[in-house]
Amino acid sequence: MISNSNPRSFADLVGFPDSLRSPTLGAHDTHGTTVLCLRYKDGILNLGDRRATAANYIMYDRAKKILRLDDHTLVAISGSFARSTEIARYLRHAFKYYSRTQLQDMSVEGKLQEVSRALAGNLSMSLEGIGIFLPIVSAYDPASDSLGIYFYDVMGARFESGQYGCAGSGSHRIQGVFEYIQRQQGNFEERELEEVLLDGLTMLDIASELDSATGNLSMPLPIAKTLTKHGIEDINEQLLRESVLSVQKGKG
Amino acid sequence: MLSPYDWQESISQRAQYIENRIKSGSPIVGLSIDAGCILYTYRKHIRKVYEVYDRMMFSAIGQQADVESMRVTSIDFAHQEGFAHSEDDVTIGRLVGFALSGPMKRAFGDLTVAPFVIHALFAEMNAKPAEDLFIWLHYDGDFVAHRQFAVAAGTRDSEKRMVEFLSSAYRPDLSVEEAFGIADQAWRIGADRDVDGVPDEELLSDAFPEIGFLERNVERVRRFRLIQQDSKHSR
Repeated sequence: MISNSNPRSFADLVGFPDSLRSPTLGAHDTHGTTVLCLRYKDGILNLGDRRATAANYIMYDRAKKILRLDDHTLVAISGSFARSTEIARYLRHAFKYYSRTQLQDMSVEGKLQEVSRALAGNLSMSLEGIGIFLPIVSAYDPASDSLGIYFYDVMGARFESGQYGCAGSGSHRIQGVFEYIQRQQGNFEERELEEVLLDGLTMLDIASELDSATGNLSMPLPIAKTLTKHGIEDINEQLLRESVLSVQKGKG
Repeated sequence: MLSPYDWQESISQRAQYIENRIKSGSPIVGLSIDAGCILYTYRKHIRKVYEVYDRMMFSAIGQQADVESMRVTSIDFAHQEGFAHSEDDVTIGRLVGFALSGPMKRAFGDLTVAPFVIHALFAEMNAKPAEDLFIWLHYDGDFVAHRQFAVAAGTRDSEKRMVEFLSSAYRPDLSVEEAFGIADQAWRIGADRDVDGVPDEELLSDAFPEIGFLERNVERVRRFRLIQQDSKHSR
Protein backbone atom coordinates (compact mmCIF):
# COMPACT_ATOMS: atom_id res chain seq x y z
CA MET A 1 0.00 0.00 0.00
CA ILE A 2 1.04 3.53 -0.48
CA SER A 3 2.56 4.58 2.78
CA ASN A 4 2.71 8.33 2.35
CA SER A 5 -0.69 9.51 3.40
CA ASN A 6 -0.18 13.18 3.90
CA PRO A 7 -2.17 15.88 2.17
CA ARG A 8 -1.26 15.55 -1.44
CA SER A 9 -2.98 17.38 -4.19
CA PHE A 10 -5.13 15.60 -6.70
CA ALA A 11 -3.06 17.30 -9.45
CA ASP A 12 0.05 15.42 -8.24
CA LEU A 13 -1.86 12.19 -8.02
CA VAL A 14 -2.97 12.23 -11.65
CA GLY A 15 -0.17 14.35 -13.15
CA PHE A 16 -2.45 17.16 -14.20
CA PRO A 17 -2.28 19.21 -16.41
CA ASP A 18 0.72 17.60 -18.14
CA SER A 19 -1.22 14.41 -18.71
CA LEU A 20 -3.35 16.18 -21.27
CA ARG A 21 -0.95 18.36 -23.15
CA SER A 22 -0.70 17.31 -26.75
CA PRO A 23 -2.21 20.10 -28.80
CA THR A 24 -2.27 19.79 -32.56
CA LEU A 25 -0.88 23.13 -33.53
CA GLY A 26 -2.79 25.00 -36.15
CA ALA A 27 -5.98 23.05 -35.62
CA HIS A 28 -9.13 24.96 -34.85
CA ASP A 29 -10.45 23.58 -31.63
CA THR A 30 -14.15 23.53 -30.96
CA HIS A 31 -15.42 26.48 -28.98
CA GLY A 32 -18.46 26.93 -26.85
CA THR A 33 -19.98 30.35 -27.20
CA THR A 34 -22.29 32.34 -24.93
CA VAL A 35 -22.99 31.67 -21.25
CA LEU A 36 -24.35 33.98 -18.60
CA CYS A 37 -25.08 33.93 -14.88
CA LEU A 38 -27.59 36.15 -13.13
CA ARG A 39 -28.44 36.56 -9.49
CA TYR A 40 -32.10 36.34 -8.51
CA LYS A 41 -33.88 36.39 -5.18
CA ASP A 42 -33.12 32.87 -4.04
CA GLY A 43 -30.03 32.00 -6.00
CA ILE A 44 -28.07 32.20 -9.22
CA LEU A 45 -29.45 31.43 -12.67
CA ASN A 46 -27.03 29.97 -15.24
CA LEU A 47 -27.94 30.09 -18.93
CA GLY A 48 -26.08 28.88 -21.98
CA ASP A 49 -26.81 28.53 -25.69
CA ARG A 50 -26.22 25.10 -27.21
CA ARG A 51 -23.82 25.89 -30.03
CA ALA A 52 -20.20 24.78 -30.35
CA THR A 53 -18.14 26.07 -33.28
CA ALA A 54 -14.73 25.46 -34.85
CA ALA A 55 -13.66 28.49 -36.90
CA ASN A 56 -16.61 29.07 -39.23
CA TYR A 57 -18.08 25.60 -38.78
CA ILE A 58 -20.97 24.76 -36.51
CA MET A 59 -19.74 21.58 -34.85
CA TYR A 60 -22.63 20.85 -32.60
CA ASP A 61 -25.95 22.38 -31.64
CA ARG A 62 -26.62 20.44 -28.46
CA ALA A 63 -23.61 21.36 -26.38
CA LYS A 64 -24.00 21.53 -22.62
CA LYS A 65 -21.97 24.39 -21.26
CA ILE A 66 -23.34 24.61 -17.73
CA LEU A 67 -21.68 21.91 -15.67
CA ARG A 68 -22.05 20.84 -12.07
CA LEU A 69 -18.76 20.66 -10.17
CA ASP A 70 -20.38 19.52 -6.93
CA ASP A 71 -23.67 19.99 -5.13
CA HIS A 72 -22.89 23.65 -4.36
CA THR A 73 -20.88 24.73 -7.38
CA LEU A 74 -21.76 25.31 -11.02
CA VAL A 75 -19.43 26.29 -13.81
CA ALA A 76 -20.48 27.94 -17.07
CA ILE A 77 -17.83 27.39 -19.71
CA SER A 78 -16.86 29.28 -22.83
CA GLY A 79 -13.95 28.87 -25.19
CA SER A 80 -12.15 25.64 -26.00
CA PHE A 81 -14.65 22.87 -25.49
CA ALA A 82 -12.10 20.10 -25.10
CA ARG A 83 -10.07 21.95 -22.48
CA SER A 84 -12.97 23.28 -20.53
CA THR A 85 -14.87 20.01 -20.24
CA GLU A 86 -11.66 18.24 -19.28
CA ILE A 87 -10.83 20.85 -16.68
CA ALA A 88 -14.38 20.69 -15.31
CA ARG A 89 -13.89 16.95 -15.00
CA TYR A 90 -10.58 17.49 -13.27
CA LEU A 91 -12.12 19.97 -10.83
CA ARG A 92 -15.02 17.65 -10.08
CA HIS A 93 -12.57 14.92 -9.14
CA ALA A 94 -10.24 17.26 -7.28
CA PHE A 95 -13.07 18.51 -5.03
CA LYS A 96 -14.27 14.99 -4.29
CA TYR A 97 -10.74 13.77 -3.69
CA TYR A 98 -10.10 16.56 -1.24
CA SER A 99 -13.25 15.96 0.77
CA ARG A 100 -12.66 12.20 0.94
CA THR A 101 -9.00 12.33 1.87
CA GLN A 102 -9.23 15.31 4.23
CA LEU A 103 -12.60 14.34 5.72
CA GLN A 104 -14.00 17.83 5.21
CA ASP A 105 -15.42 19.73 2.25
CA MET A 106 -13.13 22.10 0.41
CA SER A 107 -13.93 25.73 1.22
CA VAL A 108 -15.29 27.97 -1.54
CA GLU A 109 -12.00 29.87 -1.46
CA GLY A 110 -10.15 26.61 -1.98
CA LYS A 111 -12.35 25.65 -4.91
CA LEU A 112 -11.92 29.04 -6.59
CA GLN A 113 -8.18 28.79 -6.12
CA GLU A 114 -8.21 25.37 -7.75
CA VAL A 115 -9.97 26.91 -10.80
CA SER A 116 -7.29 29.65 -10.95
CA ARG A 117 -4.57 27.03 -10.85
CA ALA A 118 -6.16 25.07 -13.68
CA LEU A 119 -6.33 28.24 -15.79
CA ALA A 120 -2.73 29.18 -15.01
CA GLY A 121 -1.67 25.65 -15.98
CA ASN A 122 -3.38 26.14 -19.31
CA LEU A 123 -1.65 29.43 -20.04
CA SER A 124 1.14 28.20 -22.30
CA MET A 125 -1.41 26.54 -24.53
CA SER A 126 -3.55 29.64 -24.54
CA LEU A 127 -0.54 31.65 -25.71
CA GLU A 128 -0.14 29.27 -28.63
CA GLY A 129 -3.65 30.24 -29.57
CA ILE A 130 -5.29 26.96 -28.74
CA GLY A 131 -7.26 25.76 -25.78
CA ILE A 132 -8.24 29.18 -24.45
CA PHE A 133 -11.24 28.95 -22.18
CA LEU A 134 -12.92 31.11 -19.61
CA PRO A 135 -15.20 29.82 -16.88
CA ILE A 136 -17.75 31.59 -14.72
CA VAL A 137 -18.17 29.89 -11.38
CA SER A 138 -21.35 30.14 -9.29
CA ALA A 139 -20.86 28.96 -5.76
CA TYR A 140 -22.91 28.62 -2.63
CA ASP A 141 -20.93 28.80 0.58
CA PRO A 142 -22.66 26.84 3.36
CA ALA A 143 -20.24 28.27 5.94
CA SER A 144 -21.38 31.87 5.42
CA ASP A 145 -24.74 31.06 3.79
CA SER A 146 -23.88 33.25 0.80
CA LEU A 147 -23.82 33.02 -2.97
CA GLY A 148 -21.17 34.34 -5.33
CA ILE A 149 -20.51 34.66 -9.07
CA TYR A 150 -16.84 34.62 -10.05
CA PHE A 151 -15.20 35.15 -13.42
CA TYR A 152 -11.59 34.77 -14.53
CA ASP A 153 -9.05 35.98 -17.05
CA VAL A 154 -6.84 33.58 -19.04
CA MET A 155 -4.03 33.80 -16.50
CA GLY A 156 -6.29 32.69 -13.69
CA ALA A 157 -6.99 36.02 -12.01
CA ARG A 158 -10.32 35.82 -10.25
CA PHE A 159 -12.93 38.54 -9.98
CA GLU A 160 -16.10 38.46 -8.01
CA SER A 161 -19.08 39.82 -9.80
CA GLY A 162 -21.99 41.00 -7.71
CA GLN A 163 -25.08 40.58 -9.83
CA TYR A 164 -24.18 38.97 -13.12
CA GLY A 165 -21.41 37.50 -15.23
CA CYS A 166 -21.09 36.48 -18.87
CA ALA A 167 -18.46 34.96 -21.10
CA GLY A 168 -17.99 33.69 -24.62
CA SER A 169 -18.02 35.15 -28.11
CA GLY A 170 -21.53 36.55 -27.80
CA SER A 171 -20.98 38.07 -24.38
CA HIS A 172 -19.24 41.23 -25.55
CA ARG A 173 -22.30 42.21 -27.52
CA ILE A 174 -24.60 42.04 -24.53
CA GLN A 175 -22.49 43.11 -21.58
CA GLY A 176 -23.87 46.65 -21.53
CA VAL A 177 -27.41 45.36 -21.55
CA PHE A 178 -26.97 43.82 -18.09
CA GLU A 179 -26.02 47.18 -16.71
CA TYR A 180 -28.93 48.86 -18.45
CA ILE A 181 -31.45 46.34 -17.14
CA GLN A 182 -30.06 46.66 -13.65
CA ARG A 183 -30.34 50.44 -13.68
CA GLN A 184 -33.90 50.22 -14.96
CA GLN A 185 -35.18 47.30 -12.88
CA GLY A 186 -33.00 47.28 -9.78
CA ASN A 187 -30.50 44.68 -8.65
CA PHE A 188 -30.97 41.21 -10.08
CA GLU A 189 -30.71 39.69 -6.62
CA GLU A 190 -33.93 41.37 -5.54
CA ARG A 191 -36.00 40.04 -8.42
CA GLU A 192 -38.04 36.89 -8.97
CA LEU A 193 -36.64 33.95 -10.94
CA GLU A 194 -39.33 34.14 -13.67
CA GLU A 195 -38.50 37.79 -14.44
CA VAL A 196 -34.75 37.29 -14.39
CA LEU A 197 -35.15 34.23 -16.62
CA LEU A 198 -36.96 36.36 -19.22
CA ASP A 199 -34.20 38.99 -19.12
CA GLY A 200 -31.50 36.34 -19.41
CA LEU A 201 -33.18 34.64 -22.35
CA THR A 202 -33.67 37.98 -24.05
CA MET A 203 -29.94 38.65 -23.77
CA LEU A 204 -29.11 35.20 -25.07
CA ASP A 205 -31.43 35.89 -27.99
CA ILE A 206 -29.76 39.24 -28.68
CA ALA A 207 -26.35 37.53 -28.53
CA SER A 208 -27.50 34.96 -31.07
CA GLU A 209 -28.57 37.73 -33.44
CA LEU A 210 -25.37 39.75 -33.11
CA ASP A 211 -22.90 36.85 -32.91
CA SER A 212 -22.94 34.14 -35.56
CA ALA A 213 -21.35 31.63 -33.19
CA THR A 214 -24.19 31.79 -30.66
CA GLY A 215 -27.05 29.39 -31.29
CA ASN A 216 -30.62 30.65 -31.32
CA LEU A 217 -33.10 29.93 -28.59
CA SER A 218 -35.66 27.70 -30.16
CA MET A 219 -34.02 24.46 -31.20
CA PRO A 220 -32.97 22.94 -28.93
CA LEU A 221 -33.84 24.88 -25.79
CA PRO A 222 -30.94 26.59 -23.97
CA ILE A 223 -29.47 25.01 -20.87
CA ALA A 224 -30.88 26.68 -17.75
CA LYS A 225 -29.91 25.71 -14.22
CA THR A 226 -30.33 27.32 -10.84
CA LEU A 227 -28.06 27.17 -7.82
CA THR A 228 -29.60 27.86 -4.42
CA LYS A 229 -28.74 26.91 -0.87
CA HIS A 230 -30.74 23.73 -1.47
CA GLY A 231 -28.64 22.61 -4.41
CA ILE A 232 -28.67 22.63 -8.18
CA GLU A 233 -31.76 22.19 -10.32
CA ASP A 234 -32.74 22.39 -13.96
CA ILE A 235 -35.33 25.01 -14.78
CA ASN A 236 -38.59 23.22 -15.33
CA GLU A 237 -38.92 22.51 -19.07
CA GLN A 238 -42.40 23.94 -19.40
CA LEU A 239 -41.41 27.23 -17.77
CA LEU A 240 -38.33 27.41 -19.99
CA ARG A 241 -40.33 26.71 -23.14
CA GLU A 242 -42.97 29.31 -22.27
CA SER A 243 -40.32 31.91 -21.41
CA VAL A 244 -38.51 31.31 -24.70
CA LEU A 245 -41.80 31.67 -26.61
CA SER A 246 -42.57 34.88 -24.81
CA VAL A 247 -39.11 36.31 -25.59
CA GLN A 248 -39.52 35.40 -29.23
CA LYS A 249 -43.02 36.87 -29.38
CA GLY A 250 -41.68 40.10 -27.91
CA LYS A 251 -39.42 40.56 -30.91
CA GLY A 252 -42.47 41.05 -33.10
CA MET B 1 18.72 -20.23 8.36
CA LEU B 2 14.95 -20.36 8.16
CA SER B 3 13.51 -23.83 7.60
CA PRO B 4 10.04 -24.36 6.05
CA TYR B 5 8.93 -25.41 9.48
CA ASP B 6 10.11 -22.13 11.04
CA TRP B 7 8.30 -20.19 8.35
CA GLN B 8 5.04 -21.98 8.98
CA GLU B 9 5.50 -21.55 12.69
CA SER B 10 6.15 -17.84 12.32
CA ILE B 11 3.19 -17.38 10.03
CA SER B 12 0.83 -18.98 12.48
CA GLN B 13 2.27 -16.84 15.26
CA ARG B 14 1.68 -13.77 13.10
CA ALA B 15 -1.89 -14.85 12.46
CA GLN B 16 -2.41 -15.39 16.15
CA TYR B 17 -0.90 -12.02 16.98
CA ILE B 18 -3.19 -10.24 14.50
CA GLU B 19 -6.28 -12.13 15.58
CA ASN B 20 -5.54 -11.16 19.17
CA ARG B 21 -5.31 -7.54 18.15
CA ILE B 22 -8.56 -7.50 16.17
CA LYS B 23 -10.75 -9.69 18.34
CA SER B 24 -11.84 -6.77 20.49
CA GLY B 25 -12.88 -4.68 17.49
CA SER B 26 -16.39 -3.30 17.13
CA PRO B 27 -18.34 -5.41 14.59
CA ILE B 28 -19.52 -3.96 11.28
CA VAL B 29 -22.84 -4.75 9.60
CA GLY B 30 -23.45 -4.17 5.89
CA LEU B 31 -27.01 -4.13 4.51
CA SER B 32 -28.30 -3.45 1.04
CA ILE B 33 -31.87 -2.16 0.85
CA ASP B 34 -34.01 -0.39 -1.76
CA ALA B 35 -33.07 3.04 -0.37
CA GLY B 36 -29.35 2.35 -0.55
CA CYS B 37 -26.42 0.67 1.06
CA ILE B 38 -25.62 0.76 4.78
CA LEU B 39 -22.54 0.13 6.88
CA TYR B 40 -23.49 0.13 10.55
CA THR B 41 -21.13 0.04 13.49
CA TYR B 42 -20.44 1.55 16.93
CA ARG B 43 -17.44 3.77 17.45
CA LYS B 44 -15.71 5.51 20.31
CA HIS B 45 -13.19 8.28 19.73
CA ILE B 46 -12.19 7.69 16.17
CA ARG B 47 -14.27 7.68 13.04
CA LYS B 48 -14.86 4.25 11.62
CA VAL B 49 -16.87 4.48 8.39
CA TYR B 50 -15.32 6.21 5.38
CA GLU B 51 -16.43 7.19 1.90
CA VAL B 52 -14.08 5.84 -0.75
CA TYR B 53 -15.68 6.89 -4.00
CA ASP B 54 -19.02 7.94 -5.52
CA ARG B 55 -20.77 4.66 -4.71
CA MET B 56 -18.21 3.05 -2.42
CA MET B 57 -17.41 3.06 1.28
CA PHE B 58 -15.62 0.94 3.82
CA SER B 59 -15.17 0.34 7.48
CA ALA B 60 -12.55 -1.69 9.28
CA ILE B 61 -11.47 -3.25 12.53
CA GLY B 62 -7.79 -3.07 13.39
CA GLN B 63 -4.91 -0.77 14.06
CA GLN B 64 -5.66 2.83 13.25
CA ALA B 65 -2.47 3.33 11.23
CA ASP B 66 -3.39 0.39 8.99
CA VAL B 67 -6.98 1.56 8.61
CA GLU B 68 -5.69 4.99 7.60
CA SER B 69 -3.24 3.52 5.13
CA MET B 70 -6.00 1.39 3.59
CA ARG B 71 -8.30 4.41 3.40
CA VAL B 72 -5.75 6.55 1.57
CA THR B 73 -4.68 3.76 -0.78
CA SER B 74 -8.31 3.02 -1.63
CA ILE B 75 -9.21 6.65 -2.25
CA ASP B 76 -6.12 7.20 -4.40
CA PHE B 77 -6.72 4.08 -6.46
CA ALA B 78 -10.42 4.85 -7.00
CA HIS B 79 -9.82 8.48 -7.98
CA GLN B 80 -6.96 7.64 -10.33
CA GLU B 81 -9.11 5.01 -12.03
CA GLY B 82 -12.16 7.24 -12.18
CA PHE B 83 -10.23 10.15 -13.63
CA ALA B 84 -8.29 8.08 -16.15
CA HIS B 85 -11.40 6.25 -17.34
CA SER B 86 -14.89 6.89 -16.04
CA GLU B 87 -16.59 7.05 -12.67
CA ASP B 88 -18.59 4.00 -13.72
CA ASP B 89 -15.44 1.92 -14.20
CA VAL B 90 -14.45 2.06 -10.55
CA THR B 91 -15.53 -1.03 -8.61
CA ILE B 92 -14.66 -2.48 -5.21
CA GLY B 93 -13.87 -5.79 -6.90
CA ARG B 94 -10.99 -4.19 -8.77
CA LEU B 95 -10.00 -2.02 -5.81
CA VAL B 96 -9.75 -4.94 -3.39
CA GLY B 97 -8.43 -7.45 -5.92
CA PHE B 98 -5.81 -5.26 -7.58
CA ALA B 99 -4.80 -2.57 -5.11
CA LEU B 100 -5.23 -4.08 -1.65
CA SER B 101 -5.22 -7.85 -1.54
CA GLY B 102 -1.78 -8.35 -3.15
CA PRO B 103 0.20 -6.00 -0.91
CA MET B 104 -1.61 -7.38 2.17
CA LYS B 105 -0.76 -10.93 1.25
CA ARG B 106 2.87 -9.97 0.63
CA ALA B 107 3.17 -8.12 3.93
CA PHE B 108 1.62 -11.03 5.78
CA GLY B 109 3.98 -13.59 4.26
CA ASP B 110 7.12 -11.47 4.54
CA LEU B 111 8.47 -11.96 8.03
CA THR B 112 10.73 -8.93 7.74
CA VAL B 113 7.87 -6.41 7.51
CA ALA B 114 4.93 -5.66 9.77
CA PRO B 115 1.69 -7.29 8.67
CA PHE B 116 -1.53 -5.34 8.31
CA VAL B 117 -3.57 -5.57 11.47
CA ILE B 118 -6.89 -5.02 9.80
CA HIS B 119 -10.15 -6.69 8.95
CA ALA B 120 -12.32 -4.68 6.58
CA LEU B 121 -15.71 -4.56 4.94
CA PHE B 122 -16.17 -2.70 1.65
CA ALA B 123 -19.55 -1.79 0.17
CA GLU B 124 -20.50 -0.81 -3.35
CA MET B 125 -23.92 0.50 -4.33
CA ASN B 126 -25.31 -0.12 -7.79
CA ALA B 127 -28.65 0.42 -9.56
CA LYS B 128 -30.58 -2.26 -7.62
CA PRO B 129 -30.08 -3.92 -4.20
CA ALA B 130 -29.48 -7.25 -5.94
CA GLU B 131 -26.50 -5.69 -7.71
CA ASP B 132 -24.93 -4.15 -4.61
CA LEU B 133 -21.74 -5.79 -3.52
CA PHE B 134 -19.94 -6.24 -0.21
CA ILE B 135 -16.38 -7.48 0.04
CA TRP B 136 -15.01 -8.88 3.26
CA LEU B 137 -11.24 -8.45 3.35
CA HIS B 138 -9.03 -10.34 5.75
CA TYR B 139 -5.62 -9.33 7.11
CA ASP B 140 -3.83 -11.95 4.97
CA GLY B 141 -5.25 -10.55 1.73
CA ASP B 142 -7.98 -13.14 1.47
CA PHE B 143 -11.32 -11.70 0.37
CA VAL B 144 -14.89 -12.88 -0.13
CA ALA B 145 -17.74 -11.15 -1.99
CA HIS B 146 -21.25 -11.05 -0.57
CA ARG B 147 -24.61 -9.83 -1.80
CA GLN B 148 -27.52 -8.40 0.23
CA PHE B 149 -25.73 -8.31 3.57
CA ALA B 150 -22.30 -8.92 5.02
CA VAL B 151 -20.53 -8.62 8.33
CA ALA B 152 -17.03 -8.19 9.70
CA ALA B 153 -16.28 -8.87 13.35
CA GLY B 154 -13.32 -9.60 15.59
CA THR B 155 -13.95 -13.32 15.68
CA ARG B 156 -15.31 -15.86 13.21
CA ASP B 157 -17.74 -16.98 15.85
CA SER B 158 -19.27 -13.51 16.15
CA GLU B 159 -19.53 -13.28 12.38
CA LYS B 160 -21.31 -16.62 12.23
CA ARG B 161 -23.91 -15.59 14.79
CA MET B 162 -24.49 -12.26 13.06
CA VAL B 163 -24.98 -13.93 9.67
CA GLU B 164 -27.38 -16.43 11.21
CA PHE B 165 -29.50 -13.59 12.55
CA LEU B 166 -29.38 -11.57 9.34
CA SER B 167 -30.31 -14.56 7.20
CA SER B 168 -33.72 -14.55 8.82
CA ALA B 169 -34.16 -10.83 9.49
CA TYR B 170 -32.99 -9.36 6.19
CA ARG B 171 -35.31 -8.31 3.36
CA PRO B 172 -34.31 -5.95 0.51
CA ASP B 173 -37.50 -3.90 0.99
CA LEU B 174 -36.73 -2.92 4.59
CA SER B 175 -37.31 0.75 5.31
CA VAL B 176 -34.30 2.79 6.36
CA GLU B 177 -35.40 2.82 10.01
CA GLU B 178 -36.09 -0.91 10.01
CA ALA B 179 -32.71 -1.56 8.44
CA PHE B 180 -30.95 0.54 11.10
CA GLY B 181 -32.85 -1.40 13.76
CA ILE B 182 -31.88 -4.78 12.32
CA ALA B 183 -28.30 -3.68 11.85
CA ASP B 184 -28.22 -2.59 15.48
CA GLN B 185 -29.53 -5.99 16.61
CA ALA B 186 -26.94 -7.74 14.45
CA TRP B 187 -24.20 -5.54 15.91
CA ARG B 188 -25.33 -6.39 19.44
CA ILE B 189 -25.23 -10.10 18.60
CA GLY B 190 -21.71 -9.74 17.21
CA ALA B 191 -20.56 -7.62 20.16
CA ASP B 192 -21.80 -10.25 22.61
CA ARG B 193 -18.67 -12.36 22.43
CA ASP B 194 -19.30 -14.30 25.61
CA VAL B 195 -22.88 -15.04 24.41
CA ASP B 196 -24.54 -13.94 27.63
CA GLY B 197 -27.28 -12.04 25.84
CA VAL B 198 -25.82 -8.55 26.14
CA PRO B 199 -23.01 -6.82 24.24
CA ASP B 200 -19.65 -6.81 25.96
CA GLU B 201 -19.17 -3.82 28.23
CA GLU B 202 -15.79 -3.14 26.67
CA LEU B 203 -17.42 -2.57 23.25
CA LEU B 204 -20.55 -0.75 24.34
CA SER B 205 -19.42 1.70 27.01
CA ASP B 206 -18.85 5.22 25.63
CA ALA B 207 -19.67 3.96 22.15
CA PHE B 208 -22.38 5.26 19.83
CA PRO B 209 -23.66 4.16 16.41
CA GLU B 210 -21.94 5.43 13.31
CA ILE B 211 -23.63 4.72 10.01
CA GLY B 212 -22.38 5.16 6.47
CA PHE B 213 -25.35 5.47 4.15
CA LEU B 214 -25.02 5.52 0.36
CA GLU B 215 -28.36 6.76 -0.93
CA ARG B 216 -29.63 5.20 -4.13
CA ASN B 217 -32.41 7.51 -5.24
CA VAL B 218 -31.18 11.06 -4.75
CA GLU B 219 -30.46 13.88 -7.17
CA ARG B 220 -27.33 14.94 -5.30
CA VAL B 221 -23.94 14.04 -6.72
CA ARG B 222 -22.75 13.23 -3.23
CA ARG B 223 -24.55 10.07 -2.25
CA PHE B 224 -22.64 9.27 0.89
CA ARG B 225 -24.04 10.42 4.19
CA LEU B 226 -22.45 9.85 7.58
CA ILE B 227 -24.94 9.50 10.40
CA GLN B 228 -23.60 9.71 13.93
CA GLN B 229 -26.13 9.11 16.65
CA ASP B 230 -24.32 11.08 19.29
CA SER B 231 -24.28 14.85 19.34
CA LYS B 232 -21.19 15.07 21.55
CA HIS B 233 -18.94 13.75 18.80
CA SER B 234 -18.87 15.39 15.42
CA ARG B 235 -16.04 13.75 13.54
